[in-house]
Amino acid sequence: MAKSVETLEQSIKDVPKAKKLESKKTWLSWGLLAPVLFFFILMSVLPTVWMFGLAFYDYTLTSAQNPRFVGFDNFRDFLANRALAGAVSRTLIFVLSAVILQTILGILIGVLFWKNDKMPGRRLALTLLFTPMVVTPIATSLFWKFILDPTLGVLNFFVSTFGFDRIDTLSSTTLAFPTLVFVDTWMWTPFMTLMTLAALGSVPKAELEAARVDRLPLTRLIRTVIWPHAKFILGLGLLLRIIDAFKTMDLAYVMTGGGPGDRTELIAVSLYRFAFKSFKLGYSSAVSVFLLFVAIALTAIYLYVLNARKKAEE
Amino acid sequence: MSEDTKMKLDRRRLLKAGAIAGAAIPAAGLLAACSDDGGSTSGGGSAEAPAADSPLYGSNATNMQGKTIDFAYSRIGGWPPSAAPTTQWADFQAYALENYGYTVNDITFVEAGFGELFQKVSPTLAAGSSEYNLMVVDSQWLGALSEPGWIVKADDVFAANPELDIEPFSSLVRDTYQVYPDGSGIRWGFPQMPDTQGVFMRKDMLEDPAEQAAFKAATGKDLPTTYEEYVEIEYSALVEIIDFFHRPDEEMFGTALMYSKEYDFFSCAYYPFAYSTGGKIWDPETSDVYGILNSDINAAAMEEFVGLMKYQPADAASFGIGSLLDLFNGGKCFSAWQWLAVGAFMGGADAVVKPDMVISIPLPKWDGKLIGAMGGQPWVINAFNNDDQMRVAIDVLKWWYTKDTQDKFIKNNGGLPWSKEGAANPEYLSVAHYVEPFLYMLEEGRSQDFWHLPEYAEMLAVQQEAFNGYASGTVASAKDALEYAAAKQQQILFNAGRTTTPPPENVDSLRL
Repeated sequence: MAKSVETLEQSIKDVPKAKKLESKKTWLSWGLLAPVLFFFILMSVLPTVWMFGLAFYDYTLTSAQNPRFVGFDNFRDFLANRALAGAVSRTLIFVLSAVILQTILGILIGVLFWKNDKMPGRRLALTLLFTPMVVTPIATSLFWKFILDPTLGVLNFFVSTFGFDRIDTLSSTTLAFPTLVFVDTWMWTPFMTLMTLAALGSVPKAELEAARVDRLPLTRLIRTVIWPHAKFILGLGLLLRIIDAFKTMDLAYVMTGGGPGDRTELIAVSLYRFAFKSFKLGYSSAVSVFLLFVAIALTAIYLYVLNARKKAEE
Repeated sequence: MSEDTKMKLDRRRLLKAGAIAGAAIPAAGLLAACSDDGGSTSGGGSAEAPAADSPLYGSNATNMQGKTIDFAYSRIGGWPPSAAPTTQWADFQAYALENYGYTVNDITFVEAGFGELFQKVSPTLAAGSSEYNLMVVDSQWLGALSEPGWIVKADDVFAANPELDIEPFSSLVRDTYQVYPDGSGIRWGFPQMPDTQGVFMRKDMLEDPAEQAAFKAATGKDLPTTYEEYVEIEYSALVEIIDFFHRPDEEMFGTALMYSKEYDFFSCAYYPFAYSTGGKIWDPETSDVYGILNSDINAAAMEEFVGLMKYQPADAASFGIGSLLDLFNGGKCFSAWQWLAVGAFMGGADAVVKPDMVISIPLPKWDGKLIGAMGGQPWVINAFNNDDQMRVAIDVLKWWYTKDTQDKFIKNNGGLPWSKEGAANPEYLSVAHYVEPFLYMLEEGRSQDFWHLPEYAEMLAVQQEAFNGYASGTVASAKDALEYAAAKQQQILFNAGRTTTPPPENVDSLRL
């Protein structure tokens, strides 16, 4: 009994020490986090807050007028702007067509490389395959623009050499948009291949082995063994691509400038024009806030998928 | 999760959202407060000499003695004439040391294309920074830079340094690069690189006897070959020549013009067609656009201008300055309607088309009338320079306008003479073929600039989109494109308080 009392007393004595240690640890954690937090607040939080504020003001950089509070006018104008509605719908079509194509191609190429460890030149092929994803979008846009140039481009050089009519893809009202989707697909299919390889790699070997021993048909193998494991990583890849494709600007701006007319004017290109051609900073902030909410909505879906994964694992 | 917890969470979310909104509104308020002192416009063109110790006089024998200073300027990316100060900077370093006893380090610069430079420069000025001590800017920006008080009034500099007030070759130089508001006589800029438009053609093709004979056989006329024969040429006659040399099967197109949506490419290339046939784009006195820009004359001019695309490659709707350089130098087109300031680069030693294969001429005439568009850029001085920087900025201008510097600029670096004295210098006339057409286009009334208003960027973006839409085939007619641009521009100017005439009632429902 006496010993337990002593132990209890000792424990009570140790409490402040533990608290002190805990407090030290907390300070250390905050100290280590501080630089990152500082830059996060400076580079991300403050500009976002500033942008939210600016969305309620009429402010044009070239107007020589002070920012003027206009409440929700910028949002009202934005929602009433039919050209912007066109840009939003065009962007959605772009996202859908590009991401679907990239996913299908990515999965097919991923499956081709999966388990084919002895394929000759596999490593080199994979490296080359991932190159488009690594090149900066501006460089990609520029060299595709040069390749496709109807007068000086290499593609049309061969087309005319073989006696066909030159193709003017980027200035054609019917071909410009599909060309943009094609180049985006060329650039981002490797990403979906990568995600496919990661997804397939997440399937436990034991389960695959068991399926092989049980001689499971391919459809059942995919449905009952591969898909339950692979779907989370594939879903994540898909969501990341959707978010990224929604923000596409550089590709359209460099290759077509949003043209011909407004045929390839995606919402991010419109935003760039408002902000840096017309210098309407208040209005473009309102458009940015809209885009931010779309990104948040997509991120929410992503988080939902991740949570679903956790629940499934539990 | 219990209902109570849910309510707490919801309340917490609500509070968080409120806190964000609460922070956002004052942040914007702070933004407004920060710029409170930025709205004043310096008053009219006083020409009183500044106080004796004003830095606007530049340096003297003592006040910069022994100092070392950094200096920066802004320039147009990919536009060689605005890069010349960098190329010739060593001369200024020697000039400053010899005349004023100070050392100036190598010049630093920011550069961007025509469309992007303003966005690089203006935030620094809005923040009251002297990051760029002198700036090469586009003439359209004079209003946007002078109204907030970001640049020094040139009249004040002239009052202190009358030698900088150089007599221009024509009033076009003053009206384009110096004066804002239009017609006020108040000057803000200093000419850096005036520019006008012309047509570059393949001299070797014109001088080919076989071509001359073929032309005679096809048209019954002699093919003009010299500058003198072309200087007064009519538009229809030039188109006939373009048509003759248009051979798409041989990958030789008749001509190339700018139709791009980028910056002012379409607009400036189109303006001569409108101006020269009696069209106007706005009324500078009332700041009205609607009813002026969307005229039948302008529509017919645009149809004619866009009609020339049949002599060009299929992607002409995206052509800008660079595309014309590529096509012409690559030997893919017989002629190109181009800015004369890039004359030094139309044809090159390493290109398919060599410099001696090129002739340049002024724009053609429409029933004897010709009004081209002005290009080129002025210098402006940052109003936030400290005293030392201001002195050096003035010194740079004094150096820039010395005969030696202008000689090097014009003879070696693609510059063009714009002063009365420079234009009369026979040495400059013989520098290159494009000097003579440049001066011809710079004569009184032969070219004109457009808006210098702070709203230029918004107006230009609207117009470029509409005009390019017509060239691209996404806007049904020239009239529709002009109607859209005119209504939107009227709205912009009305909202800015520049005009009392409201835009048409259907302005918000107009769509391209």
